[in-house]
Amino acid sequence: MSWRLALALVAGVALLVPFVVPQYSLTVIVSALIFSLFAMSLDLMVGYCRLYSFGHAAAYGLGAYCAALILTHLQVPLVIGIALAVLVTVAIAVPIAWICTRSTGVSFAMLTLAFAQLGYAMLFRFRELTGGSDGVVGIPRPPGPFGIDWFQGKTGYYYLVLACLLGSYLACRAIMRSNFGAVLAGIRENEAKTLSLGYNTRAYKTATVVLSYGVGGLAGALYAGFAGYASPELFFWLTSGHVLIMVVVGGAGTLVGPMLGALFFVFLEHQLSQVTDLWPLIFGSIFIAFVMFFPGGILGLLRRRHAAA
Amino acid sequence: MPLLECKGLTRRFGALIAVDAVDMRLEPGEIRAVIGPNGAGKSTLFNLITSVLKPHAGEVVFAGENITGLPVYRVARKGIARTFQLCHIFPALSASENVRLAAQARDARRAAAIADEALEHLRLTRFADISADTLSHGDQRLLEVAMAIAQKPRLLMLDEPTQGLSLEETDRAVQILKAMLRAGDLSVLLVEHDMEVVFKLADNITVLHRGRVIADGAPAAVKADAAVRSAYLGGAD
Repeated sequence: MSWRLALALVAGVALLVPFVVPQYSLTVIVSALIFSLFAMSLDLMVGYCRLYSFGHAAAYGLGAYCAALILTHLQVPLVIGIALAVLVTVAIAVPIAWICTRSTGVSFAMLTLAFAQLGYAMLFRFRELTGGSDGVVGIPRPPGPFGIDWFQGKTGYYYLVLACLLGSYLACRAIMRSNFGAVLAGIRENEAKTLSLGYNTRAYKTATVVLSYGVGGLAGALYAGFAGYASPELFFWLTSGHVLIMVVVGGAGTLVGPMLGALFFVFLEHQLSQVTDLWPLIFGSIFIAFVMFFPGGILGLLRRRHAAA
Repeated sequence: MPLLECKGLTRRFGALIAVDAVDMRLEPGEIRAVIGPNGAGKSTLFNLITSVLKPHAGEVVFAGENITGLPVYRVARKGIARTFQLCHIFPALSASENVRLAAQARDARRAAAIADEALEHLRLTRFADISADTLSHGDQRLLEVAMAIAQKPRLLMLDEPTQGLSLEETDRAVQILKAMLRAGDLSVLLVEHDMEVVFKLADNITVLHRGRVIADGAPAAVKADAAVRSAYLGGAD
């Protein structure tokens, strides 16, 4: 099956989803799609540069809080608010990325974690603005521009998220297949050699981290608009841990794999949390099983079966 | 004007002076070998010229420009391409992807054509689509040379291109390198352990011993030099 055919098929099914599932299920589905976008954004770092960020909640939280504050304080349409939130996230990400890419491996993970926790702490420091532990509530979805308002309802919002996910995926895929992506492959394989070929590897890594924050910020902004509130847990290290697990279990370095990983875990959590409080235990066991036995992730498994058939 | 000039280049590691006030010149089109016993400072000298290490004293002048201490990637962009003593390739990429990435650094638009040409020069075309880590050790070394020439350098620096190769592989590599070097008017700096290889390839030789230049000249003269003989035959003290 060709890539284009598969994409058209998935997109076709996705377009029909709101007509066949009940409204309450749509809530879980939209959350899952937003988390797919978030996981894909982390994959840019983890899968393509071997930069293991343990603070990607910073991107999500920044996007969500920027969107929350812009939409509650400024009179701008939802889509403009989300776009502005992404721009602010990108602007803040530039110095963070520059500092974090000074190091690699565990130090990189710790630096990204530190920045995420810094963001978390600042929510409580600037309580008047961020609402502290209450977060920002009552985020509106203002219509416009040009009177467009189809995204105000749940079904419309589903299509908005779907469009952002598809657009981001196609853009990231194109970037990773370009000359830029080829240099990232070189960095992943042998950074010293890539440097000696004449590439400023740190600039490439910084650009990748900023791109990753931008897409992650988009996911966070979409979440804020969907949920109607932004709370500190978006910035918390548990969020970073969850999304990293989704990337690894889905299959890092494939863009599609982490999306599948996110869908898998969001639905699993939804089902299991109705049955037992011990679902994090199952979550963890699955993670360990994948790391030990299926390092290619869910996508790797699917591909293997496809090749065998 | 020489293409490359090292002036009083010095680098210490703790109490050890690995490279000690080395002066060396390379004229355009010249093929110069740097030889010397283990620990003579050959690879350190390479790393100083390419800015992988910063010198404690002295300077590196390339095409009339002081390039001492520039970032590694900017030295490469000035037109210096190198191979490493321990082969540095991208193992999971195919041979042609390896070379294309090198070519892209210089000329992104023509990268594919330059890569094909470089593979052909090193007689690796039949391995183009094979993952680099499945090539033989000898072919991996030649692949790294292909990457270096795909950078279209003004100065090519080869760090022990035949290290770890069998006799047959060495012969083949030397033949291929010789053909490649004679074909273009490349300027080459070559570190090599194998004296046979050096005499087959180099116009001139610089001999390092304990970080210092002890001889410099044409192969025949260097071969006859008493200091060189004593350094190589173990009479180092």
